Amino acid sequence: MSPPRLTGALRSFSHVSKKEDFSNNPNDLKTKRQKRQELFANEGLTWQKIVCFCTEHQDKAKNRAASQELKNLLLAAKQIVGSEHGQEAIQSAAVFLFETFHNKDHVGTEETWAIKQMFGPFPATAAEASCNCVAQLVAPFENSHVEGFIQTQSSCHNPQQRSSFGCNIVFSYDCYALDPLKDLPHSGMHMENTSLEF
Amino acid sequence: MASARVPLDERQVTEPGPLGKEHTLPALHPDRKEDRCFVPYKPPPENGSPAEVEEFLDHARFIMEDLEWLLALPHDKFWCQVVFDESLQRCLDSYLRYAPRSLDLTALPSSSAMAEIQRSIHKEVFLTFLRMATYKESKDNFLTPAVFGEIIYDNFLFDIPKILDLCVLFGKGNSQLLHKMIDNIFTQQPSYYSDLNETVPTVLQVFDSVLEKCGLRCEGATAMEPMKLNAYKQPTAMTMSQQELVDIVLYLCDSTTTIHAFLDIFPAACSTFHSHGFLSRLTSFYETTVPDLEKAVRKRNFDDKSLQEDLWKRLSHSCRKMVETAHLLLHHTCLQPILEGRENMQTFAEELLQHFTSFLTEKRFLSDYDEVFPLSDDISLLQQALPVIDETRTSYLLQGVESAWESVGRRKLPNPS
Repeated sequence: MSPPRLTGALRSFSHVSKKEDFSNNPNDLKTKRQKRQELFANEGLTWQKIVCFCTEHQDKAKNRAASQELKNLLLAAKQIVGSEHGQEAIQSAAVFLFETFHNKDHVGTEETWAIKQMFGPFPATAAEASCNCVAQLVAPFENSHVEGFIQTQSSCHNPQQRSSFGCNIVFSYDCYALDPLKDLPHSGMHMENTSLEF
Repeated sequence: MASARVPLDERQVTEPGPLGKEHTLPALHPDRKEDRCFVPYKPPPENGSPAEVEEFLDHARFIMEDLEWLLALPHDKFWCQVVFDESLQRCLDSYLRYAPRSLDLTALPSSSAMAEIQRSIHKEVFLTFLRMATYKESKDNFLTPAVFGEIIYDNFLFDIPKILDLCVLFGKGNSQLLHKMIDNIFTQQPSYYSDLNETVPTVLQVFDSVLEKCGLRCEGATAMEPMKLNAYKQPTAMTMSQQELVDIVLYLCDSTTTIHAFLDIFPAACSTFHSHGFLSRLTSFYETTVPDLEKAVRKRNFDDKSLQEDLWKRLSHSCRKMVETAHLLLHHTCLQPILEGRENMQTFAEELLQHFTSFLTEKRFLSDYDEVFPLSDDISLLQQALPVIDETRTSYLLQGVESAWESVGRRKLPNPS
């Protein structure tokens, strides 16, 4: 619980601010993740494009192996996103995993956080499995080829090059510190000031 | 490009609509807002369970990511988001409400991961408010000042509690930027002065509520009927629960620090506070409350001695802030006009002397004030600016100061000069 504050009293008792209800909404994170998944699904790269990329121009045997890995990737995605979700959500999750792991050989902290931010808590084995699947899928290609494919397909990888507002502003993290007028007089603690002059 | 020099509020844009067909609409239009769904800020948990820490980190990462995205938006898109996205406004508001203040009992997050992301959000929130307080970002990207004033006021992008929060959260190291921001806000939207005027009585009520909690403002004293002898006895600072005493000291510490930070950063607000008789209310509050609270902190039995030490520091810090606030008010409303040689110098001098005279009855306040801001210094300045000041009156004041020191049982240290 936040400590008593002057501005809290001003918000409650004066009429100069908007009344907001900040009661805890347990679905905040769930709603946010759903929104994030929706936004990601509209970023350009689709499951069909990945399937096409991984299976095109390959001989039959490699093609069959790739198809199997793609199936495994979908299976891992299903475990991460949750089995209650439809095929579209699972494919979108698989796209996300492909993007996340296409240049990684293991599940690092960054990847773990990225998956968690998108889907919430997930089984670590599914992340391992998807990392391995993606490694198998991209193995026949040059790194630059895979990178180029993702860059061209995904709009989020082509943001307009613009500097962020405030990047030149010198921000200070200094904050107010206690600045007492005087120290606690130890002699007076727990006893009345008794005059010794009679 | 001549067309680019049109303010954002008058600009039109042509872009693909929801069905892909191009359409023209005002550059500042709700349809141009992204459906981003900002999450509200939650403060770092104190000694939280791993699940609580995770929840904080999840929220914090989303906020960080979203604010970075927001600050990278072009000017027009930024303003569409700020004005029309209520989730963003709630996110920023929740940060101002719940972000730990440096003077909170547990201000520092318990893990380095939490501290690191808290620090990052702190900066991004400040930059977002800075951008929101800027009506002209560049030659091509700007809002009509009057429209900017309407937008920030009508949409509650800034309000008085938020401005006070900004001062106490960011003011220590960013006072110049904050001054520019607040000055800009008040200049472009003078209604904020009316809001401030409406807020000051509530600030005074906060002091009254502290007095009441300490049993120092007897309800019956102002009532028409005399109080019955067996009437309910209000707890005092000595008899209330320890938690209540802690809460009062924390409340006082936060209130005095916030008021001082605001007036220090935006001295133009001093006249509004002054017009409500804030100075005399503050000094009499000080005189009544400080000795009582000090006695309670010194003499009550605390199992945790570090808590006692901490409470003392906070109370003493509050004293300093009240003294400094009194000085700011006197300086900006009376002394400064005299030193600048404004018209009616004599009236300002008279007002200043009257304030000093009224301090003579508030002996505890006067001695503390004099310790930090020697009255003799201000009187000397006054005499230099206005040699006609009655010397008998100034001598009387200086004697009153000496007597105040004596009556509170302290000896004034000799002036180092």
